[in-house]
This record gives sequence, C-alpha cells and structure tokens, in this order.
Amino acid sequence: MVLNHDSMKPIYIQIAEWLETEVINGNLSVDDKIYSQYQLADLLNINPATAGKGLTKLLEDDIAYKKRGLGMFVKENAREKILLKRKNETLKTIIKDLVQEADYLQVSNEELKHMIEAERTKRGSS
Amino acid sequence: MGVVSSRHLTKSYRNNHAIKDLTIQFQEGSITGLIGRNGAGKTTLLKLIAGLIKKTDGELTVLGEEPFNSLKVSANSIFVDDQLPFPQDFKVKDVLREFSRFYPNWDGELADRLTSYFSIDKETLPLHFSKGKRSTFNAIVGLATHAPLTIFDEPTTGMDYSVRHDFYRALLKDYMEYPRTIIVSSHLLNELEDLLEEIALIHDGKLYFQETVPSLKEYAVGLTGSTSLLNSITQEHDVLYSKDVGMNQQYIVLKDRLTETEKDSLRREGVKLSPVSPADLCVYVTNKAEGGIDDVFNRSETI
Repeated sequence: MVLNHDSMKPIYIQIAEWLETEVINGNLSVDDKIYSQYQLADLLNINPATAGKGLTKLLEDDIAYKKRGLGMFVKENAREKILLKRKNETLKTIIKDLVQEADYLQVSNEELKHMIEAERTKRGSS
Repeated sequence: MGVVSSRHLTKSYRNNHAIKDLTIQFQEGSITGLIGRNGAGKTTLLKLIAGLIKKTDGELTVLGEEPFNSLKVSANSIFVDDQLPFPQDFKVKDVLREFSRFYPNWDGELADRLTSYFSIDKETLPLHFSKGKRSTFNAIVGLATHAPLTIFDEPTTGMDYSVRHDFYRALLKDYMEYPRTIIVSSHLLNELEDLLEEIALIHDGKLYFQETVPSLKEYAVGLTGSTSLLNSITQEHDVLYSKDVGMNQQYIVLKDRLTETEKDSLRREGVKLSPVSPADLCVYVTNKAEGGIDDVFNRSETI
C-alpha cells in the first residue's frame, strides 16, 4: 500500500479502501484478523490516530467487527457489501467522469459503448 | 485539559510583540506540528512552554504549573533545537551520562543504538560536529529523554534527506512505544504531515488555526478552469489564492464550503478539482500580498 498525497481523499479513507480491496481480492476473508492500529501506523509511517480512524471507518461501514483485546476482524458478508458499495460509489464516479469526457470530445453513446465493449474483449471478459 | 494551555499569552521584546494574545492547547499523548513563517513566533512560544523565557502577560500552564522557574516542568520536559547547549569540553559520552542523571525516563539503550546507527563516535566533542550531525545528535538526545513533554524546534536543520526520514521514522516508532506529548516545529511540513495528529499555524504571534490533519485536508480546495467561470464563484467564496495558469485559465484556492452537488456541477463544466496540501495552504493563508514574490519583479505595473 502506498499513500497518495495528491488524492482528494484523506489518508484514513485511503487506508479503509485499501483494506476493502484486500477483502475483495480474497487476501482477507471472513473472520480474518485485520492489521491493528499500531501495525498500520508502523507499516505506513503515519500517526496511529490516523490509522485508527481508517479502522473505525471499517467498523462504521459494518465491514469489520471488534473483539475486545484481540483486535478487529472481517465481518460476514463484508465482500458483498464492499462490492455493492464500490458499484454504487466508485464505479458511478468513474462513469460520471467518462461521460463528461465523452461529451467534451463529442463521442456518441454508440461509439462509447463500442469502446467499452472493445476494452472488455481485450481483457478477455464478456 | 491539555498538557499545555495558554490564554491571552503575550511575550514582548521591547516594543515588539513576538507572541500576541495567544490562546492554544496541546493535548496529552499527541504529536502536534507547529508551523508558521520565519519570525511568526514559533520559537518564542516553544521557549515559553519549556520555561526557558518569561511571559509578559496572560496565562500559561504546563503540566499544571506556570513553566518559568518550575522544577517540575524542567524535569518533565525537554526543548531541543539546533543549539542545545552542552559544556564545551563534554564528549558525546559525557552528555549522555549527564542526561541519564537528570531525566528519570532516560533510555540509555536507545541513545546508544541511535548514536551507533548514525555513526556518532562517543569520544568526540559535539562542538566539532557539522551542522547536520549536531542536529542529529540533539534529536537523539531529545528522543532518548522520553520526557512527558518533548519539544523539537526545527529538529531537522542541516540534516540530509535520508537522515531526516530516519529521524521521522525513529520519532514515530519511539512515540508508539512510549506515547507522550510531542510538539514539533518545522518548515518541512510535507515530510512531516503524516506523523502529525494536529497542525497549529502561528502567524504574527497569533494562532491562525489548529486543526487535525484530516480536517486540514478538507479545509481548502483547488480549482482549475476558465477565468470567466471561476470569477462567478469567487464572488461568493473566500479566495485564499489565485494564479493565471494559461490562456483564460486560472487556478484558485477556496475555503472548502462547496457542497458535493456544487462540486459535481463544477466538474461538469470542466473545472478540475484538486487537493491543497497543508504546506501550500499555510503559504497561501500567510502571504502578505496577492501575487507574492512575482509582484517584486513586476516593475512595469507599478508605474
């Protein structure tokens, strides 16, 4: 994980999103232990309060749960919740940008769809 | 209550107010960055807190006491700058020995490990060190003291890039192991900001703002777009900075009071939104005149 200081997103949000991505990728599964606040601070060279804020975000979004004295763990259905959230938030934002740029360049809907399909074929998905 | 708190604190040197009516608090167990332009009053404030100089007016409480002439404050705090005075004939090992006698929390093992990591020979005199090495040694002493209130005033003066980063890392690791109140003043905010919980900006002897690092990131927003479009926005918002960046293109920095909907509609109109780093923000809010250094060279326009 590398922090991006040029992003509009605060560091703690970046941390939460990175851990979410680890869940999507399957590197973290249900009931797996998530890094502690101090491990994160050490790993990313950041203030432990910032790291803690990132972890709190996962609790708030109902993606992780806390066991007293043991740390934080991935909650059941976390992956599904994250995928849904990413679709509704991240993907929509990207589409917004995409459509905006397409409008700017006067690319028609048909042409845009065509370009998306071509990209998907290239990646080998359908 | 904070470890350090001041109300209407003033420090004057003859007729010059270095600190003017300053009210500030530093919370226990946090790392705060104290920033400001040259001559803003940072060092004066830190020296007042450490009890090294006497206030002129107002209230100042450190660890529950007035810091000037307080033994409690001297025993529980350390003020590190690039001139930390040691007796002239003291070798490194003598300095370390005396610190261990004075400070109850002194971590001799850490001091030994850090001096050897930074290749500081214990038989040498700190007096003969280069600027960077002297700063490094002072910083080591500051860390190993483990004082409940640890104050670094421009600790990285003269350190090269690599040593600075080692120092930041050491500061963070030692802080996590021994949480305490740390105040660091620095001009290199970009390098330091990730370590900090709060940033306090001092300007003209006053507190300009004190914010947590995440909220500082949301304090301002940069907009790049056509001049005519941006002009319509600037009427309603606090503009902190503006600059021409091309034909009819402008970059402006606003206090971020825009709603998400407003931001979306700006994006749709082709305006690029970008974050403003705390370091840049501090430059913008403390600039004396619009345009800054460019105005100095703009001779034609003054006629």
